[in-house]
Formats: sequence, structure tokens, C-alpha cells
Amino acid sequence: MRARMPSLHRRRPPGNGDERILPLINVVFLLLIFFMLAGRLAASDPFEVEPPASASDGPAADGELELLIGPDGELALDGMVIERKGLDEAIALRLAEAPAVKARIKADSGAAAVDVLDMLERLNAAGIEELLLVTRAGAS
Amino acid sequence: MPASGPHPALASDPARRRSLVGLTPLIDVVFILLVFFMLASSFADWRTIRLKPPVPTAGGGGLAGAMLIEVDADGGLRLSGVPTTLEEIGARIEPLLGRRPDLRVVVKPAADTPLQPVVSLLDRLNAAGVTDMTFIHGGD
Repeated sequence: MRARMPSLHRRRPPGNGDERILPLINVVFLLLIFFMLAGRLAASDPFEVEPPASASDGPAADGELELLIGPDGELALDGMVIERKGLDEAIALRLAEAPAVKARIKADSGAAAVDVLDMLERLNAAGIEELLLVTRAGAS
Repeated sequence: MPASGPHPALASDPARRRSLVGLTPLIDVVFILLVFFMLASSFADWRTIRLKPPVPTAGGGGLAGAMLIEVDADGGLRLSGVPTTLEEIGARIEPLLGRRPDLRVVVKPAADTPLQPVVSLLDRLNAAGVTDMTFIHGGD
């Protein structure tokens, strides 16, 4: 038995280091292509937001405008943290730059529901007609 | 062989070709790209719910004959003032919807209610087939 082991090792195709790591490179390329195609590149949120779980199956539509509501009521418009006082101005400014009729609200599951409703009202008053609440797939 | 110029000689000489393009830098770059895409891409399964903005509490004219569901801060539900559960609401609403398909349901979260119980209630109402669902502001 012991005599056969070296001969097993020697059966490997002769080649230098480069040729022996080709299978590794193939796998790495495949992984790279998988992550490039399957993943979605998105800017990370300025604070942690965990949307509520819901059985709804609405499409993950990308609204033209995104309002983030954190667990403690922090606000961010299109990834920029804003103060509560300046919200209406910020929305008006944003809409003046690029008009939008569709907005996405990504609120934390622990955010106050009344607060979220208040934001719905404000966005609607600013002229946005389609309001989408982002949820996480899963049984609620 | 004088007919074959320098090019076939280059291509058939593996040692010379390897010295032109090293494999190691390529693998380095591919690894870096792989790590980048693994860290930067997100696989979160987002969905959305379409929401109508809340109606002002003062103009309650359209709320006559509607069903009122209140959501407390601890997630407790009250149907027309009577404490109830999510299952009971579904069981109560489904026969009503059979008689009045346009039944209007009004959801009123209390001041400190988190978003999750409200979204769970919306899911249940959706599953029961409610088409006319409105929010009103609570707490004030």
C-alpha cells in the first residue's frame, strides 16, 4: 500500500504551477459571473432599516423617489439624511430637480405607523400619486 | 523552415508566451472583482404594497357605514371598539364582503403603534378581499 501512494501522486498531469491552478481560476470566474448577474448593486442606506414582513406580492418596483424612515423616526430622502423640519422643502426641491409621480417608502418595522402615514400625506401633498411601501417577503 | 516567419515560432513556444502575459495578476484582479461583487450586491427580496394616503380626520363624511379597526401600540386590535384578533377580523369580514363587496374598512393606528402589526393587518384584509381600505390618523 505504501509503495502505491507515490505512484498515485505521480499520475497527475505533468505541468507547472500555472496549469495546475486553471480549474481554480475557472471556478472563480464562474463565481464572479454569478455574483455580477444575480446580485443587485444598490447604494447602502445611511442607517439600518428593516422593512416589515408581509405576504404581499407587489413588484419590487423602483420608485423614482425613495424616503427612508428609521426605527427612531430618522428620515432620509434618496439616501441623504434630512431633518424632520426641512422635509417638505427637501421634497419640493427634489421634485423641482426631477419630477416624480411614484415614491417608495422604506420604513423600519418598528417605526411608528402614524409617522409613516404622516409621510404618506406629505408626499401626496407634494404631488406624488403613487405611494409604495417596501416590505420584506415572509409570513407576517 | 524559412517560409514560417517569427509569428508561428512565438505561438508554438509556450515558455515565451507565458512570459508575455502573466497569469497571476489576472487572478488577483479577478479575485478582487469577485470580493467586490460579493460584498456590494444584495440579494434581499423586497416587495411593495400600494398605499392610499390617509384621509383627514375632520372630513369624515365618506366614512359612514365603514368598518373601523383600531391598532393599539402593543399590536392589539379592536374592531368597532371591541378587542379582537387577526383571525376573528378575517372571519367577520369575509361574510360581510359577500353581501357588500365595496365595504370600506378604516384602519386607525394608535400614536405609538409600530408599523409591523399594521402591515400584518393589511395582509389579512387583502387576503379577505377588501378593496376599499383607508387609513385615518389616530392619537390626535
